[in-house]
Amino acid sequence: MLKMTHLSKVYRTEVVETYALRDFNIDVKEGEFVAVMGPSGSGKTTFLTIAGLLESFTGGEYLLDGVDVSNLGDNARSKIRNEKIGFVFQSFNLIPDLNVHDNVEVPLRYRGMKSAERQQRIKDALERVGLASRMKHYPAELSGGQQQRVAIARALAGSPRLLLADEPTGNLDTQMARSVMELLEEIHRGGATIVMVTHDPELATRAQRSVHVIDGQAVDIAEEPRFHAQSRRAEAAAEGGAH
Amino acid sequence: MTLPPILAALKKHKAGVMLITLQIALTLAIVCNAVFIIGQRIDRIERPSGINENNLFLITQSWVGAPTGDDAGSVDKLDAMQQEDVATLRNLPDVESAISINTLPLLNSTWSGGIGLKPDQQSSTAQAAFYFGTDEMIPALGLKLVAGRNFTRSDVNHMGFRGHNRPPIVIVTKALADKLFPKGDALGKTIYVDRDTPSTIVGIVERMQVPSPDSWANDWFWNSVLIPTRLDAGFARYAVRSKPGRLDAAMREAPKALFASNPMRVIETGDNFEDTSVHSFADIRTHAYRADRGMAILMGVICLILLCVTAAGIVGLTSFWVGQRRKQIGIRRALGATRNDILRYFQTENLMIAGVGVVLGAILAVGLNLWMMKQFAMDRMSLLYVLVGVIALLVLGQGAVFAPARRASRVSPVEATRSV
Ligand SMILES: Nc1ncnc2c1ncn2[C@@H]1O[C@H](COP(=O)(O)OP(=O)(O)O)[C@@H](O)[C@H]1O
Ligand SMILES: [Mg+2]
Repeated sequence: MLKMTHLSKVYRTEVVETYALRDFNIDVKEGEFVAVMGPSGSGKTTFLTIAGLLESFTGGEYLLDGVDVSNLGDNARSKIRNEKIGFVFQSFNLIPDLNVHDNVEVPLRYRGMKSAERQQRIKDALERVGLASRMKHYPAELSGGQQQRVAIARALAGSPRLLLADEPTGNLDTQMARSVMELLEEIHRGGATIVMVTHDPELATRAQRSVHVIDGQAVDIAEEPRFHAQSRRAEAAAEGGAH
Repeated sequence: MTLPPILAALKKHKAGVMLITLQIALTLAIVCNAVFIIGQRIDRIERPSGINENNLFLITQSWVGAPTGDDAGSVDKLDAMQQEDVATLRNLPDVESAISINTLPLLNSTWSGGIGLKPDQQSSTAQAAFYFGTDEMIPALGLKLVAGRNFTRSDVNHMGFRGHNRPPIVIVTKALADKLFPKGDALGKTIYVDRDTPSTIVGIVERMQVPSPDSWANDWFWNSVLIPTRLDAGFARYAVRSKPGRLDAAMREAPKALFASNPMRVIETGDNFEDTSVHSFADIRTHAYRADRGMAILMGVICLILLCVTAAGIVGLTSFWVGQRRKQIGIRRALGATRNDILRYFQTENLMIAGVGVVLGAILAVGLNLWMMKQFAMDRMSLLYVLVGVIALLVLGQGAVFAPARRASRVSPVEATRSV
């Protein structure tokens, strides 16, 4: 589904060059649920924004669905973001001027979908996250957990094959985090590929696979569930001060 | 994106929306009416005088120590002096023709009166201005005779300024003839000029403006009567046409020649129009319409300023909104909006605001015109002005919104994740 080889990303300012990613390799298979962990500033968000075609990269290769995306034009990238990819951000990123219904509708409108289908999808998605009754509410009138569920509904409504989540539970308390996680797992069961950045080892264990990003490089921790289970404890200990 | 979500988002920015809507409405209302006024002024300025204005100049001079009485002796003396001056002017090498005449179109020195169809008619049938001159008036001024005949030398008499021996024939302009005799049979008819002498219309000229360019004469602007009389007074006016290309030379020579033949006179050469005795007709025209031109320029400048301020307002507000919404633009981009979608978003938003603005403005524009019709006897403005104004402001809005909208469309989708 998502394959990066020798990928690098350099941020250049007038004074410094920062290698946010260097020789970054990852291969996420269709239908996988991958947790991405790593210390702050290690390049997790950078990886996700490149994976989601929000940003271009400096070197290396990135195949999305087998297609080399480095040569795609802006419109083609927009179309892929719109149709294939769903985003869930740490800060929810709902549009404050729009109510819940209109927020969920945004990507569907950009897809040029007919109104009847849009309404159906909005209703279904909001029902799945348990917020069908809040359609007319504005983001400011909802709790953080509810806002994140709206954001998930917005991603869901477009039935993306790839869901990218950047610390989706980072701003939520444990209970809300758990319900968001359950939603993601449900979406995963529905067949979507999920890549989720998290600081929470507890949540990471619920993914099929964890990838550690350290200093702009990906370190695969476990491919097999068995190995995964063993390393988990050591990993948790190592990760102790990282967030 | 389509209208409902844009509208929903605008509800969150009511103050800005209302301000810019109102600004657009007011601009439309004022600009429509201003352009209408400019159009009217230009129409006035462009009215043809009816005379051939090329190489024409006018001398207004007065004699020192000339006879002042109304008696026949004094009047005859003045008449002789006047005829001598005309002869002097005609003898100049650069002069093609010279006549004495009481006034000229656009000179703003008007002798006017009522014209009746019966003697002692209570209210006159038409108002008209009087031109006193000789049989040479029509050829010298290049007036076009469209019916009847010109005066002959023997038709012409002379009288003092306060005299009453009006000749029994006149020539009128076509406009006046049609006003007095709508059936078009004016020629040969008798009219009463100033409730006075019965005068037979012997000829009709195509067109000759009255001397006053002011709006008080608007209703009878083309109503002129030509009277075959030399008016004799302590001053005289001479309309002189130079040979082609010799206008400046003729204007310099003429006063000198007049002084040479008789130094007892005043011909002023001041700095401004009023203190000057010799004017080219071009100067007379410029002077006559300076207020109209000034008004048109003022209105034009006001329009320009208003349009600039409105455009700047739109640019400013949209730029502010783009800055404020960078994050949500990034989110929209992340969710699949193309650059064009973002551009269109702001264009559509502007079109909606401007749309409401121009509807309000159109109503205001018509209202303002109606109010001015009542207050200042303004004419009714054609709705075409409003229509053109509406289109102009919509185009202005789209033009003004383009730069900030394009900036918005260049916001990177990564702003969704990076900025908070
Ligand atoms: N726009 C940018 N300009 C310059 N440096 C950046 C930019 N975005 C990220 N970086 C740098 O890239 C590195 C990786 O950042 P990021 O991917 O956000 O890390 P993480 O999400 O793992 O905390 C950091 O050192 C960060 O300072
Ligand atoms: Mg991050």
